[in-house]
Formats: sequence, structure tokens, C-alpha cells
Amino acid sequence: MKFKSQKIAYLFFATCMLLFSLQLVYGFIMGFAHMGLDVLHDWIPFHAARATHTNLLVMWLLAGFMGAAYWIVPEESDREIIFPKLAVVQWAALVIVGVTAIIGFHFNWWEGRKFLEIPRPLDYLVVVDVLLFIFLIGGTIWKSKRYTTTSMVLFFGLLMAALLYLPGMIPTINQTVDSYWRWWVVHLWVEGVWELIMGAIMSYLLIKLTGVDREVIEKWLYVIVGFTFLSGILGTGHHYYYIGTPKYWLMIGGLFSALEPVAFLGMAMYAIVMARKGGRNNTNRIALAWTVGTGVMSFVGAGFLGFAHTLPQVNMYTHGTLVTAMHGHLAFWGAYAMLILAIIAYAMPVMTGRKLSDSGMNTFAFWTSNIGMTAMTVAFGIAGVTQVVLERRMGMDFLAVQKEVEVHFLGLVMAATLFTVGIIAYIWNFVKFGLPSDEVLIERK
Amino acid sequence: MLTKSGAKAFFLLGTGLCSLAFVLLTIDTFHRIPAQTNEDQITESVKKGKDLWEHNNCMGCHTLFGEGAYYAPELTKVYQRRGEIFIRQMLKDPRAMYPNDRKMQQYHFTEDEINSLVAFLKWSGEVNLNGFPADPPLAPKKTEGVGPADLATHVLPKPEIFQQMCTACHTLSGAGGSVGPALDGIGNRKDTAWLKSWIKDPKAVKADTTMPTLPLTDAQLEEVVQFLSSQK
Repeated sequence: MKFKSQKIAYLFFATCMLLFSLQLVYGFIMGFAHMGLDVLHDWIPFHAARATHTNLLVMWLLAGFMGAAYWIVPEESDREIIFPKLAVVQWAALVIVGVTAIIGFHFNWWEGRKFLEIPRPLDYLVVVDVLLFIFLIGGTIWKSKRYTTTSMVLFFGLLMAALLYLPGMIPTINQTVDSYWRWWVVHLWVEGVWELIMGAIMSYLLIKLTGVDREVIEKWLYVIVGFTFLSGILGTGHHYYYIGTPKYWLMIGGLFSALEPVAFLGMAMYAIVMARKGGRNNTNRIALAWTVGTGVMSFVGAGFLGFAHTLPQVNMYTHGTLVTAMHGHLAFWGAYAMLILAIIAYAMPVMTGRKLSDSGMNTFAFWTSNIGMTAMTVAFGIAGVTQVVLERRMGMDFLAVQKEVEVHFLGLVMAATLFTVGIIAYIWNFVKFGLPSDEVLIERK
Repeated sequence: MLTKSGAKAFFLLGTGLCSLAFVLLTIDTFHRIPAQTNEDQITESVKKGKDLWEHNNCMGCHTLFGEGAYYAPELTKVYQRRGEIFIRQMLKDPRAMYPNDRKMQQYHFTEDEINSLVAFLKWSGEVNLNGFPADPPLAPKKTEGVGPADLATHVLPKPEIFQQMCTACHTLSGAGGSVGPALDGIGNRKDTAWLKSWIKDPKAVKADTTMPTLPLTDAQLEEVVQFLSSQK
């Protein structure tokens, strides 16, 4: 570790581990409910579990991005974070807002708009908190006068993510307009600016782990984020097919979302090629595995499975079915969850000085969680396709179809158990690293 | 070979053009949404229904316009498909309608709130969604009369209330829900008097039945009983 203020990242990473564990618990509640075992109905009804599950995901990924930024930016800028104490306040505020929102969901306090369930008063606090974060990161880069492509892409990704939160707060009386703006937030986040953040974090990791020249890596970073925006911005159209907007979105959305896999394929090839190019025998092979893994799994989950059901002709029948859940799970896992786990796997040995990166437990965590998530995706996929055929194509009643797919959720819960075992192993390893230590600061030149 | 500045130019140009196109399309879309969604029909009641929809996070289980969770039925055209009486009954006492199935929350809505939600769902169903949800292409073709063709003369037309309420749980000619038994040939098994007392108050006939007491008027009850009796 080069800079003392990089330790702030630890707070965010530990928060990730905690929120991620909680997210899994709520996932199980829903999995069992789908199996017909809705035993918690009176205490945690499905819609509360659902809001909690998805918002915990968003929160822990954001916490991960923030942690990654606090880790990467000092190094790229070659200076300490400005106002490190304020950064701790920013972390605490994020946790307080998050915890309040999650508890509120259980008392019918929310704004029932998919993915944006956080109630309005808390929205303002989120904005303030994120602005503070942007100020700290931006200020650090500004003061250093050393602008690397990686840190600039990261900064603009984070800034745009903050700005794009605002359209979701525009009041409207029309459900169609409501959905329209909601996708500005959700789609332009996950298929737009979050990919900037992803590209930047990946670049940083590849520079560190492979030893390939920064110029080469950063050049390809531009190409890939270029493709991301070329396809992703107008690709938002695939959410506008059937919500009451003009028909031309079918063509525009269909065309551009068909291009979206290109960006993810680029991301995957980028990771693989750079990892092969790097002749350096790096000591943290598991962090490289997570980095390359995020490229590959995001291509399969976000790129390929996304493509598979965003063609308008297909989407007519898959829109609003379990097929979406199939795509969603592997996409978020591959593109963002694995990426956060990669940066944590890279940062922990450097931060604590404990070289536990090549432990068997870590390898076990990597493979078990990936196999578990792949199996979950398959279970969702079979349930989803069955639902589409029986309900949307053959016209069977919704609830009758849900009875038919209950058995697939047994498979899903089994796969989720495997996944959870992998994640427990990862967290176990995280805990074993212990707290960051100032003694490792000596590496500084 | 691509240089770094070339790559940067590609990124900036691509992003700029796509963002511009997206903003222009958004402006155009907003000009067209009022007509496509019948915005002039968004009454105070519809607005209140939307607030209730959001306040209670209905999207946490249901989908509307195909958006939401996949735990409870898609509601875009529920007003057109099931009708007002069914929606009201469902909102008043969700458990009574599907007793052994997935549970819906009991919200204790007031009459006024139920009116608003009905208005909201009615408005939603009338929005032009570019053909969504599509009719199931492989579904058995719906015929007006039921039963074999030679008996068609004895068969009465299907009452609207039957289509809205009864098919939520029962099938007839292969269409409908799977909660209660199929009603094909029911006229052979039960006589008119039995059907009448059964539908009027199912619990009085069979105490442990899961069939709910439906809010039918006398005329509707008579219509349904006659229709069922004709199913031979």
C-alpha cells in the first residue's frame, strides 16, 4: 500500500461483504416462496424481500465502486485522498441511509418503482452523499494534476452515475413517462456508465496484475468504452418496446441492443489477451482469475443472454417473465459482482500485508461460486422458458404455470446453496486477512 | 494500427453522436406519449391509483406493462380480462379468491382506494403498448359455443360475468384457471337447484370448501346457473 488514505477502501469492502451476505438471505426467502414455501409471508412478504434483495445488490455494488475508487485514485493520482476524515463520514452516511431504507421496506415505506424503491426523502440524502464522494475523488485527482486515463474514466463514470440518478426523481402522473425516466437511471447505469467504472477498474487491475504497458491497456479501454456507449445508449430502447412509447423504439432498441454483446465480447477478449500478454509471474493469481472471470461471465450473462431476449420478436413473449431473472442474475454477477470481488482480492494482500491470496480456500471460493451461479442461471432459464411456452405461447393461466415451474425452483435453491458456500469461503478469506496495517506503507518510493 | 488518440476520438465521437440521437428521440417520444397513452384520461382517481400502486410496491410481485416482479400475474389488461367485480373482490379479500395458492397481502383498502386502483388499472389497460401482451399463438382457438357441434343449439351464450369471475379458477373447454374443477359437462352432473344454492353460498353446502362466495346480483346468479345447466 502506497498511501495511508487507501485504507478507507477497507470500510467499503467490509460493508460489501456484509450487505452481500444479507442479499443472499433475501434471495433464499424468494427462492423458497417460488417453491411454494412462503412461510415468512406475514413478516417478510415477497415484495419486501424482492425490494430488499435488489436494493442490497445496488448498495453493495455502489459501496464496492466507492471502495475501489478510494483505493485506485490515490495510487493513480500519486497523492493522499483530500479530507480522509470526511471520506469516513461519507461512508457512515451511506451505511445509515442504506440501513434505514432496508428497514423501511419492511414497514411499507418505499417508492414502489422497480430498482428505485428507496423512498424520496432518502433519495435526497443519497444525492448529497454521492456528491460528497464525487467531491473527494474529484478533488484528489484535481489537486494531483496527474490525470491518467484510468482515473479519468473512473471519475467520469462515477460522476455520470450520480447525475443519472436524478431523472428517476422527476415527478409524473403517467406510468409510461415514469418507466421512461426509470430506465434512464437503471439502464444507463448498468449498460452505460457502470461499464465505464467496470472498464476503469479492470484496466487498473490488468495494469497491476499483468505488467502490460499502461499505454496499450488504456488504448483498448477507450475502444471498449466507446463500443459500450455506441451500443448501450440507444440500446436503452429495448426497455421501450412495450411500455406505451412510439413503435420506432422496437427497431432502434433491437438494432443497438444487438450490438451490446460486442462491447462485452471486447471486455472479455481484452481481459484474456492482456492476461496472456503479461509475462510477469504475478503473485496474486486469484485476483487475475476474478478479473478475467468478470470479462468472460459478463459476456455470457450480460452480452449473450441479454441479446437472447432483447430482440423485439422474442421480447414480446419473454418481457416480464422469469427469463429476465435468468439474464439479470448472470449479468450482475459477471459484470459487477465478480469485478468487486476481483478488486477486493487484489487490494486485501496489499492493504494488510498478509499474502493469503493463493490459499486453497480462495480457489475454492472462485470455482464454487461461479459454478453455483451458472447452475442458478440454468435453473432460472428452464423455469423461464417453460413459463414463456406454457403461459405466453399456449395461454395457460399464470398461477397454473407457476405450479408447473415450482420444481425448477428446487433446483434453483440447490444451486444457490452451492453459490452461497462459495461466497462464505470468500468472506472467510476476507476476514482472515484482518485489518489494514500501516506497517505495509514502506513500499512507497 | 490504432493509436491511443484515435481510440479516444472514436470514444468521444461515438458517445457524442449516440447521446445526441438519444436526446432527440426522447424529445420526440415525449411529444407522442400523450396520444399513445390517452393522457387526457388520467383523472384524479387514476393518479390516486398510481400513488397507491407505488405506495404499496405492487410491482414487488406483479408486473404492469411487463415491468415488475414475476411472482404474481401481469396486470396490464386485468381490467379488460377480468373486469371490475373481480378486481374489487380480489382487493377486498385476496385470500378468499385463491385460497390454496400464492398469497396476496391483505391491504384493507377503503372503497375510495379500491375505486382509484380500478381506475388506474382501467387506464393502464387502454394504453397502446405496441401489441403487448400478445395473444398466445398456440392456445386452443376460442369458440363461442361450447361442447360438441350437434349440441350447440342447446348451449347458451357465455355470460360476461362467467368469463370474468368463474374462469379465474375453473376451466371450460380448456380455457381458464386450474384452482377449481373443470366445468365441462357440469349440467349433466348437477341440477339447477343445486347449482343455484352452491354458487349463492358455497360454504352452506360444503363447510370446508375453498370456493369463495361471489358478489353476484340475482340476475347474474340466474344467468350463470342457466349457462352452467346448459353445459351437457
